[in-house]
Amino acid sequence: MSVPTTLRCLVRPSVSRHVPRQVAAVVWAAPFSTSSSLAANPPKKKAGTQVASIRSGKKMQLGKFKKKAPGGRTGKAPLPGERKSVRKRIQLSNSNALPVQGLAELTPEYMADKRNAGTVVSLPGTVQDQLRVVEAFKPTQYWGMFRNPSMLVRAETVDLMSRMQQSAEKKQTLKLVVSGDRITGKSMLLLQGMAHGLLNDWIVINIPEAQELTTASTEYAPIPGTNPVQYMQNNYALKLVQAVRKANEKLLTRLTTAYSHPELPQNIPINSTLMQLANSAKEADGAWFVFHALWQELMAKGQGRPPILFTLDGLQHIMKVSDYRSAAFNPIHSHDLALVRLFTDCLAGSYQFPAGGAVLAATSRGNAPRTPSMELALSQREAEQTGAEPPKHDPFSRDYDTRVEASLKNVQVMKVSGVSKLEARAVMEYWAASGLLRKTVDEATVTEKWTVGGHGVLGEMERASLLTMRP
Amino acid sequence: MCWAYLTRQNIGPSPIFLRRNGCSARGLLSSGRAVVSQISSNPPHAPTMPPRLNIWSACQALSVRPRSIAQWPQQCAAAQARGFANDRNTTSQRFPDQNASNLPPFAISLSAQVPAASENEIALSQLQMAAYGLDPFDSKVDGHKFGMPDLPLPRDLNHKHRYDPVVVQITKLLMRDGKLSKAQRDMAMILNYLRTSPPPKINPARPLLPGSPAPSQLPLDPVLYLTLAIDSVAPLVRMRAYKGMAGGGRSLEVPMPLEARQRRRTAFQWILDVVNKKPTKGSGRAMFPNRVAEEIVAVVEGRSGVWDKRQLMHKQGTAARANLNHPQLRKKGQ
Repeated sequence: MSVPTTLRCLVRPSVSRHVPRQVAAVVWAAPFSTSSSLAANPPKKKAGTQVASIRSGKKMQLGKFKKKAPGGRTGKAPLPGERKSVRKRIQLSNSNALPVQGLAELTPEYMADKRNAGTVVSLPGTVQDQLRVVEAFKPTQYWGMFRNPSMLVRAETVDLMSRMQQSAEKKQTLKLVVSGDRITGKSMLLLQGMAHGLLNDWIVINIPEAQELTTASTEYAPIPGTNPVQYMQNNYALKLVQAVRKANEKLLTRLTTAYSHPELPQNIPINSTLMQLANSAKEADGAWFVFHALWQELMAKGQGRPPILFTLDGLQHIMKVSDYRSAAFNPIHSHDLALVRLFTDCLAGSYQFPAGGAVLAATSRGNAPRTPSMELALSQREAEQTGAEPPKHDPFSRDYDTRVEASLKNVQVMKVSGVSKLEARAVMEYWAASGLLRKTVDEATVTEKWTVGGHGVLGEMERASLLTMRP
Repeated sequence: MCWAYLTRQNIGPSPIFLRRNGCSARGLLSSGRAVVSQISSNPPHAPTMPPRLNIWSACQALSVRPRSIAQWPQQCAAAQARGFANDRNTTSQRFPDQNASNLPPFAISLSAQVPAASENEIALSQLQMAAYGLDPFDSKVDGHKFGMPDLPLPRDLNHKHRYDPVVVQITKLLMRDGKLSKAQRDMAMILNYLRTSPPPKINPARPLLPGSPAPSQLPLDPVLYLTLAIDSVAPLVRMRAYKGMAGGGRSLEVPMPLEARQRRRTAFQWILDVVNKKPTKGSGRAMFPNRVAEEIVAVVEGRSGVWDKRQLMHKQGTAARANLNHPQLRKKGQ
């Protein structure tokens, strides 16, 4: 057997696997057997030959109380993956909510304009579809309560978008980590970045949940010819290529290939469209190589490539040792997974995007492992930005990881916290206009919700105002 | 009988009345000038008057001032010009589009702020007023950032009573193993389901409470939706059995009226019975609340079996109402 097949047995079975596991075809047939029931065709008992016993079906009842019939659950069991899809379903519209009059629709320059800070803007339909494909919407966000998806443009949004625009103009790569407290809107900021990129004809690649890559929930295999060994995740790569293809269809059909890719099973001649290249990933086998080829094409210089936005949510998960094991049963570091390595190299600045672009990562506070090196590196970068004394290593701790620190040497850190009262008022007026906040939005209400929401933490404000009972 | 008024303009509802019998004694402190017009020396105070409120003590408190005490209108401007406490750059230009749309206009402009020098004058004059024994502050405006609340206080102002009483009762009924927080999360999910599900189609055979709003208005008021569903299927009576009273060892069934809370409790227990028998459709924390919410929608649409339970209970009550006059029961009542 080949090595990848051997390693598959180490992986937890996942519902999203595309290749059905090969059932061992070898059937052991012993020359003789004492167990007759295991024989291929046990002789059927002839009906009527046996005399039915007089007491058939009757049993002596010994206890006073009858036992309940076993098995409480009846009916058809849900199919594999069905229950998860119900749980993860994204709903973007509520037909009961009132349509809000006078909302501006998002345009390419809207979010980079300083004058638009503190306004609510609605997402156009095409962008909604693209964002849905790249899984920018999260099931924990309150999209399903409103008539149309709309979002608040806050001061941080304008800041981030203008930085992205500047880096594209200068053909540089913005490397930025969005960090901040729980439900302050970090993932939302990434979504706004993606919407901005999609509207401005950037190639958008999104890894919606970094934990899917490192918690050993998707299959992996070593890449042949790598030293030290790197691992590819074909199933995930297939999903990613398909998402990139669907979200960036218009751009990929326009761009053409600059290299021949002999490692791909399908022959893609030079000057064929990138769409053809992306389409060649039909099944999980070899999907990583297709993604890699696509990445090389996007990095080709002098070919008129568009700017690229590469985003990842849940940075902590890729800044630790993963749950995967090598063939020698040693833990695999997350940065040895090829896709994760690609992202961390981008964050570290190893790749020069031909037309500039941005690499954005967001930390997660709800579900995240502790990563001392990442926390230290981010606080150091933050201190450097403000000119303060950067914090130092804890000399008594052994939890630090040099690879993590190296990957976060050159990033900018954007700290997200609560919104100002002006922004809170704008978003509360939107809630009231949608019919979901049944209160007069005046200064007292805004201040009340702003204070109850931990000084303008948007998620807490949503809980306090939109939900009748705070869960 | 005549009156002596001591008052000033624009100072709240605290005028001082000096009452004299049989004469007109009027001291008017108007725009800072005290004028004691006419004081007669007729017989002293009426027997009901307190001894200290005579005219001489009033004159001690009066002084003639050549300057005006204060520019009161400015104080009002200071009280009205409110801004957000922590926003230094609060201006009305941040939301230029808001006025154009249907949304309410944005915050009050801070342009009418009072310069600091006159604030001092105001404070000094207020001290002066306090020295006269007058109350210079309008308790509705001064000293409160948002003014005084209107009485009686709304129910949700007390944080212990912030939720609707029906919601509180139903949440406690949802609770298992004393986990109130989980029950509250479930309740929030139920209300969210009602908010996002399409408006119910009312079955005329199962009429809801009279005076209920149109079904299209229900989803945006989920608390009303829930209350309507529960109150509509709530039984009016329960059956009480008096053991051995019907003679021959049989129990006497008598209908008893229920309180509103009891009725709601019974109805929701019936709903929960149905829900617990339903098979779950998926995994995750939203599944139990979804089943409850589906049953509530089914109640409003008249599809639920809870209606039959209610009908049965009422039928039993009607049949057994004659037992209310049962001689044994009367004897017991005496």
